[in-house]
Amino acid sequence: MARANVSHMHAIVPPYLLARLAATQEPHLAHAAEAARATLAVAREYRPVRGRLDLSVDGDALVVEVSPAPDRVISDAQNRTTLPGVRVRGEDDPATGDRAADEAFDGLGATFDMYWDAFRRASIDGVGGTMAATVHYGVDYDNAFWNGERMVFGDGDGEVFAGFTRSVTVIAHELSHGVIENAGGLEYTGQSGALNESIADVFGALTEQHLQGQSVDEASWLIGAGIFTDAVQGTALRSMSAPGTAYDDDVLGRDPQPGHMADYVETTEDNGGVHINSGIPNRAFHLAAMALGGHAWERAGRIWYLTLTGGRLSPRSDFAAFAAATRATAAEEYGEDSEEAAAVRDAWTGVGVIEDGR
Amino acid sequence: MAAEPEDAPAVAVTVVRTGGLAGLSRRWHAVGGEESDLVALVHRCPWDDCGEDAAAPEGADRFTWSVSAVCGSEERHAELAEHDLDGPWRELVDAVRERARSVPAPQE
Repeated sequence: MARANVSHMHAIVPPYLLARLAATQEPHLAHAAEAARATLAVAREYRPVRGRLDLSVDGDALVVEVSPAPDRVISDAQNRTTLPGVRVRGEDDPATGDRAADEAFDGLGATFDMYWDAFRRASIDGVGGTMAATVHYGVDYDNAFWNGERMVFGDGDGEVFAGFTRSVTVIAHELSHGVIENAGGLEYTGQSGALNESIADVFGALTEQHLQGQSVDEASWLIGAGIFTDAVQGTALRSMSAPGTAYDDDVLGRDPQPGHMADYVETTEDNGGVHINSGIPNRAFHLAAMALGGHAWERAGRIWYLTLTGGRLSPRSDFAAFAAATRATAAEEYGEDSEEAAAVRDAWTGVGVIEDGR
Repeated sequence: MAAEPEDAPAVAVTVVRTGGLAGLSRRWHAVGGEESDLVALVHRCPWDDCGEDAAAPEGADRFTWSVSAVCGSEERHAELAEHDLDGPWRELVDAVRERARSVPAPQE
């Protein structure tokens, strides 16, 4: 006999069942009938969630598995700065032939897959919401950003930047700003802002590693590799394994990222150096991941994700607070004396956020 | 008070852009004489409406802009968030960038 196992992310009582229950005259169901009538009286918003249906045969049983699927919408700003621009591709549409639009679409898919496979998180909001992106923003626009609602990608000027959708780490970085915001946010200034940037880099790197099936030893640990033109003396925007070494260029200068608290940069620029001092927690994650080995998203990434979403942070958390939170998460998930707890402790010690490892 | 050198420019404007995904600092500097359209562009900007600190950005990875101008004996400075860079500010910044060769901002 065929057997079907169907799992749904969201279970609701269907309206027809509520209606039958509401109409029942059975005395012993009077309370349930009243509750059903009250429920029906409330206007309800149905928001379908896209899903993947996987069928397989296990012996004589048909196994049906449903998992969430991405819902992507890509728009084209047509070199203007008005958002969202013109919709060019939705989830069921074929490739557009426009490189930036299709790279953004694919990159969002890879990011969705990493978050779901590694952390069972469906999309930015955790419940399968639409992931929106705009490409071709502005003229020669040298940036990609998260505006609180969507990811926005410029084309670059062609002299320094060749295009911001060329690295999946950049796409995943921008989407991850949305995840961070959804998890409660980290104020975009000083150390909390640098943590915001670092966490976006961590999940950006994990997305690339997950997409390519890389272990910690195989990964580049670079953010934004491939977005510079050949004229730039540099490999990427940032190096998580060796902050401060990503570029050294006549025009851009030298990568200013520190990898240790001893070199923390005090500045009023860049919202208090959020893209500079993020090198310190970036390197802490790299140290933890390298100590644990294997796939970084499975243990180090999981600890960082659960720390972000577990309610241990405040919007003004600094490096020390985040370090303490990751240590508490590791101890809670794996045990006080676990390899994971030790790796996290040693990582923060290694970058000078914890002085004596205690 | 020391007299200004005779060849001092009538107007000098420095624009510094920081932040963005890359976190790169870029600096542009332009000077002009009394007849330069930079003078008019500087005077059209609402300097007094800007605080010393740019407003907190929405989202993440936005640019922040610092604009400094010396126009005769007058010195002005403004910190701008990306969404503030509109109208006369945009015209001034674009004019400075067009005139200047981009040079890296000094590392702090």
